[in-house]
Amino acid sequence: MFGFGAFRATSPMSGGLLWKIPWRLSRFQKARQRQRLRAVDSVVATLDAALAKRGESLKSLELWKETMPTEAEMIPRDKYTMFDRKEKRYRKGIHKLPKWTRVSQRVNPPGY
Amino acid sequence: MSFFRVTLHRSAIGLPERTRGVLAALGLRKRTQTVFHPVSPQFAGMIMKVKELVRVEEVDRALSPAEMRDERRPERGFWLEKPAHRA
Repeated sequence: MFGFGAFRATSPMSGGLLWKIPWRLSRFQKARQRQRLRAVDSVVATLDAALAKRGESLKSLELWKETMPTEAEMIPRDKYTMFDRKEKRYRKGIHKLPKWTRVSQRVNPPGY
Repeated sequence: MSFFRVTLHRSAIGLPERTRGVLAALGLRKRTQTVFHPVSPQFAGMIMKVKELVRVEEVDRALSPAEMRDERRPERGFWLEKPAHRA
């Protein structure tokens, strides 16, 4: 099913018109998104461990740990889509967010 | 005394002036550049601001530019993986 080469089952191959921004992420984009989430998690963990060794703390770090789920704790819905009040069913792909590969967008309004 | 070894992994092109200011304050000017800063809440807060752009490790001491160059340098000489066939 998931072949390689010229006849692999990617979104442009399996559907007609796909040269604009697609409405959802491809599985490769999703994999890279998970990688980026884990990279941020590792930076936070490193900072936390280093400060804890010296018995120090940081308000922004504590707030992050309190409010933000790690990559493993997030549900797929939140990893790849985000809340938008103007969108049908209130969700749009996270790749519609400007600079989405370099900003953190993890939590959404409760209930949406 | 331990240090944060901070490497700029993603560029800050197109990001807010505040973000680029934090990178400048950390001394990061271009991608893959590495800087060392002592472990302290001040520097941790600055790294926290640019956590999506950098990779961080905690190390025991700050390396000098010469030592960092040595790290990147490949080992000298060569290995013979398989003896060449000689007639």
